[in-house]
Amino acid sequence: MNEVCFKNLDKENPASIATYEANGGYKVWRKILNGGFTPDEIIQELKTSGLRGRGGAGFPTGLKWSFMPRNQEGQKYVVCNSDEGEPGTCHDRDILRYNPHSVIEGMAIAGFVMNATVGYNYIRGEFMEPYYRFEEALKDAYEAGLLGKNLLGSDVSFDLYTHLGAGAYICGEETALLESLEGKKGQPRFKPPFPANVGLFGKPTTINNTETFASVPEILSRGGQWFADLGVENSGGTKCFSVTGSVKNPANFEVPMGTPFSKLLELAGGLKEGRKLKAVIPGGSSTPVLPAETAMNMTMDYDSIANAGSMLGAGSVIVMDDTTCMVKTLTRLAHFYYDESCGQCTPCREGTGWLYRMLQRILDGNGKEEDLDLLLSVGEKIMGNTICALGDAAATPVESFIKHFRDEFEYYIQNGRSMVEEEHNLVEEEASV
Amino acid sequence: MISNEAKKEIDFWVSKYPEGRESSAVMQALTIVQKENGGSLNSELINDVAEYLEMPAISVQEVATFYENYNHKPVGKHVLRFCHNISCMLNGSDELISYLEDKLGVKTGEVSKDGLVSVKKVECLGACVGGPMCQIGDQYHEHLTKDKLDNILENLT
Amino acid sequence: MSDIEIEIDGQLVRANQGDSIINIADREGIEVPRFCYHKKLSVAANCRMCLVDVEGVPKAQPACSTPAANGMKIHTKNDKAKFAQKAVMEFLLINHPLDCPICDQGGECELQDVAMEYGSDVSKFNEGKRIVPDKGIGALIQTDMTRCIHCTRCVRFGAEVAGIVEMGGTGRGEGVKIEPFLTEGIQSELSGNMIDVCPVGALTSKPFRYEARTWQMNAVQSVARHDLVGSNIYTQSYRGKVKRVVARDNDSINETWISDRDRFSYEGLNHESRALKPKVKIDGLWQETDWQEALKFAIDGIKNNANSSEQFGVLSSKYASLEEFYLLQKLARNFGTENIDFRLDQAQLSNASSLESTITLSEIESIDHALIVGSYTRLEQPMINHRIRKATLNGASVNTINSKKFDFNYKTGLDVLTSPQKLRATLQSVLKAIHNKTNKDAPSFLSQVSPEDIHNKIADDLIESKNGVIVLGEHLNSNLDSIAITSLIEQIASAADLKIANITLSGNSLSAEKVGFMPDEKGMSAASMFNESTKAFLLMDVDLEYDFFDSKSAQDCFNQEDVFVVALSSFENQSLLNGADVILPMASYYETSGTHINFDGQAQSFSASVKSPGDSKPGWKIIKVMADLFELEGFDYIDSTQVKEQALQLSRNKSSFKDVDFENFDDSQITTHWQYTPYVTDSVTRRASALQKTNIGMIDSAFVSEATAKKLGIGNDDLYLGVPVSIVDSVAEDYVFVHTNQARKA
Ligand SMILES: Cc1cc2nc3c(=O)[nH]c(=O)nc-3n(C[C@H](O)[C@H](O)[C@H](O)COP(=O)(O)O)c2cc1C
Ligand code: SF4
Ligand code: FES
Repeated sequence: MNEVCFKNLDKENPASIATYEANGGYKVWRKILNGGFTPDEIIQELKTSGLRGRGGAGFPTGLKWSFMPRNQEGQKYVVCNSDEGEPGTCHDRDILRYNPHSVIEGMAIAGFVMNATVGYNYIRGEFMEPYYRFEEALKDAYEAGLLGKNLLGSDVSFDLYTHLGAGAYICGEETALLESLEGKKGQPRFKPPFPANVGLFGKPTTINNTETFASVPEILSRGGQWFADLGVENSGGTKCFSVTGSVKNPANFEVPMGTPFSKLLELAGGLKEGRKLKAVIPGGSSTPVLPAETAMNMTMDYDSIANAGSMLGAGSVIVMDDTTCMVKTLTRLAHFYYDESCGQCTPCREGTGWLYRMLQRILDGNGKEEDLDLLLSVGEKIMGNTICALGDAAATPVESFIKHFRDEFEYYIQNGRSMVEEEHNLVEEEASV
Repeated sequence: MISNEAKKEIDFWVSKYPEGRESSAVMQALTIVQKENGGSLNSELINDVAEYLEMPAISVQEVATFYENYNHKPVGKHVLRFCHNISCMLNGSDELISYLEDKLGVKTGEVSKDGLVSVKKVECLGACVGGPMCQIGDQYHEHLTKDKLDNILENLT
Repeated sequence: MSDIEIEIDGQLVRANQGDSIINIADREGIEVPRFCYHKKLSVAANCRMCLVDVEGVPKAQPACSTPAANGMKIHTKNDKAKFAQKAVMEFLLINHPLDCPICDQGGECELQDVAMEYGSDVSKFNEGKRIVPDKGIGALIQTDMTRCIHCTRCVRFGAEVAGIVEMGGTGRGEGVKIEPFLTEGIQSELSGNMIDVCPVGALTSKPFRYEARTWQMNAVQSVARHDLVGSNIYTQSYRGKVKRVVARDNDSINETWISDRDRFSYEGLNHESRALKPKVKIDGLWQETDWQEALKFAIDGIKNNANSSEQFGVLSSKYASLEEFYLLQKLARNFGTENIDFRLDQAQLSNASSLESTITLSEIESIDHALIVGSYTRLEQPMINHRIRKATLNGASVNTINSKKFDFNYKTGLDVLTSPQKLRATLQSVLKAIHNKTNKDAPSFLSQVSPEDIHNKIADDLIESKNGVIVLGEHLNSNLDSIAITSLIEQIASAADLKIANITLSGNSLSAEKVGFMPDEKGMSAASMFNESTKAFLLMDVDLEYDFFDSKSAQDCFNQEDVFVVALSSFENQSLLNGADVILPMASYYETSGTHINFDGQAQSFSASVKSPGDSKPGWKIIKVMADLFELEGFDYIDSTQVKEQALQLSRNKSSFKDVDFENFDDSQITTHWQYTPYVTDSVTRRASALQKTNIGMIDSAFVSEATAKKLGIGNDDLYLGVPVSIVDSVAEDYVFVHTNQARKA
């Protein structure tokens, strides 16, 4: 546990450059600056490691880096996505707070590989504590001569800056993030062209997630194969999971890919006292919800979760117990997407509001029998027709919640109240947390 | 009017971006002037920022109205930004928000009579393992309970 | 060159790599529904209406932003495409009011059209509809933003074409509002195009509001003649009145845009000051009469007052038609006078007409550099300026030599501030710099000239440009030194191998020049006719207050007892009633057939869109009858086409450059320059009320530097020649720039 990104978590002063270096940090970067690593070797190691993007889509990182037109003239950029906004997700925050140098080193390495001399770390605007930690780390790295121009006498330069967001989930989407970095509304761009060709300020750009970058130094230091072997087929290495919801000890855990879900649940102290597992969202609010039984049989890796009917996503495990009202939960999620839609493209702008209003109406006791099919059909009409994946993300929970818990929705529509809350007679009780 | 200190702070952000890309600093510029103005923006400030960064005013307005963290109406001296998204909800955020509303005699979105606090329901703040949680200024307050909230409120001046 | 082959709806089609699917479909006549896509704007791909099925790709793809690739198989109408299109249509309609019967766009609404074809009959939407408050964006455009479908065409138009970012999308998600920041109204001279680009009834024409339903109107192809471009338009009329003007595509001329002046000036046609009946002044009193009487009165008056044919003068505004110019000069010349002119606003008869433009409208788009001299191009020639702007978007640089720093909608590099009286010196320096740099011997009149840094830089840019142009603008007209300046421009262009865009003369001036509506050596120019020697005048579409460089001399002359003035005019005003002795009501724009010659030398003919009101008659017919009554030969035309054919056969009588005296010139005086806002340039536009209420229409300031103001003893908000003074930095010294909608008082 906690072998890569959270490696320093239990050390004293985990965020300091001293702690980082004492535990092998910046070893790789120094080696590079001394000419001991070529870009091709690095890409090869990453490919071997099986590292896949931790931001949610799971795209192989080595492959992504190989797409950059490294030898093209002109400025190129490396951008880190620390916008962490997917409900249920909060491990990037801890990486920034407790291991900022791994992100810096990972980005610097990426800059070297891509021949990009400037990087930006886009940190969500609310993450002020992580921001200050990261800024301090930047200062230390500059002072140590590890960032800046002609580093350690080499011809390698890398300048790294932070950019702060201002509250918009959509800026986690990589092209919206680029727009935001350019001082605009965070509205996703359509692709093609891809950022690797036309990215930040119109220049070739590589964007990776915080955890992705943070994993790179350790992989290069201990070898791609070492990392791959930690995990399972198709899912190399370790992954940080945020386990939240109805568990005793909600927390972040870095565990090997392929760890059984039940084990993860155990690490989080199991369910709250007296509660039974009802459902799990394994990868953040945008991924399909799974019923308890399915979840208990899966392991935490890309393929197993996919086989179970969901996605590993950002590794955000949301646990729901037998007292959770699925109608209310889905409505809350629908509200989120309705609130966070950038408003650019028609199906998402109009569809998310439609979904939310219908659900809220059901929750208010004014549901109609035909509403469930209508919800599904509106979801189906959003799905796949939008510019970015937020549209899909909004439709996904609707589909999976209704699929697995249709009876609860029907009950609510027929009776104007929650089946679960009725069963558990929770309506008053819960008010005294 | 943007104060000279604020301008200096904005210039720090401007310096991070390539020449001709000053508008990248607009989000921080707005954050800075909003802070200076007691937590909210107005058209005059939008115009000032537009002028300072040589951007069309409407482009600044677009940004100012797109992002959640800008306020266009006066807010309390302290804004309690309470997460009500899924992980926090599963741990009782709704009840805490109601408790807060009752205690302060305000609804979310309103400012308390003494102007000291306002409460805002927000989406996920990325501290889900610490839910229920809220943000006040730069600070996150996690694992909230009624007692903890009482305590926090007492210390707000 | 087609390098790939794709299949659309089973049809094999050759295309270019990277061409978008929608482009190819459009070319092949395959209909793909769309809202946000507009061929002249950047691709936004936000409406999602154009989704089509590309074989092998799981999601439906937007045809507007998906590049074609070899071997692609595309279905625009299979189940998958239809499902996606119907879905988007349904989403668009849930929040769109279904009030087509009261919407001004009804009948020409892209949403309505597409909904008919791609919508499904029943929407299951049961929630409340969105209502969007309106901010209002000025006098020309009516907003009803609840109808907005967020296609962002207007926003992109502003940013990309108008070059003034005023509209934006504020808020996010369902709450996105397309609006300006302020409510003061749009500042662009091209703003009306937003109405055309808006696919729905969110942006409609304000003056047109509730005037007629589109399907009731009669649309006629026509040509606008307010500027040198001759933008192609449709006039739309209802019950014999023009109710609206919209753009007609012509890629080499106006593409798909028109200026606000071309769009909204028609309102002037319906102004209360229209001249509707022939009128004669007897013993100082005006009497309405019939055509026969009036014409007889006119002919007799001219004959009696002009003792010899040289005492007869003929003047016209620059906005008449080719045919009118032709017939009127023919009448004058057959009558025996050379006193013919349309250059009423020129201070000194420049060489301007000898300076021919050597570039076409569409070529301007591909210049790499422009030097603008004496021109607020944006307001003078909006569509030409638009081409320059397009060039700048492709990297062209622009420098200016102007008497004031103007608000261009593109970045200018070097701006040299020069008063009219110093313009000669500035241009001499530039010319000298060019000669120095190209190691050429400078002509002797430059021997004393030593260029400064800025002149050298201007010269560098001119020499370095491979495809540069020098633009000479309207300010030349009122420059007392215009002969020298034109000559210097010519020399600079030839020394630095530049093209010339001469936009000094606007309207239909090129028609007037073509038919020689100017005196030869024997005749008198407009300015010199107002002395004792001219006793009878025939005026065509002339406004006594606005049109003359020296309107006081002109009016004094016309007002004399023994000067007989016949006016062909579409409008009456007090100065005309004072000065004229006969008013012959003339058909105005869109009420008569005619021809306009544009910047490219293209002669574009148009027919009448509506009948002229009251007893007014087309100008060319009035002139023909007058010629008959004068018993002049050669006026037996059956229709205006014959006139046009004859007129076009004339080859332009290119007057040679006048010799320039470069030695003696007094540049020590403080000068004043009067520039009209674009909305008072001609008799019709001047009376178009909505245009007057725009920001551009309301411009009325005498700009002066602090130092000059001191010399003149004026301060902010004082009146200078009746115009409020505004002390600014960016104006030349010893100079007052009057930018106004008021008639000239200098
Ligand atoms: C609506 C939306 C929100 C997203 N939010 C985040 C986020 O907060 N953090 C993140 O790293 N990636 C997020 N992503 C994924 C990014 O678009 C992108 O795939 C990722 O940053 C790539 O980095 P990776 O390859 O290292 O995962 C989001 C995607 C979508 C569609
Ligand atoms: S799917 Fe939603 S968030 Fe993504 S571009 Fe479209 S409107 Fe914006
Ligand atoms: S026309 Fe293609 S998405 Fe709008």
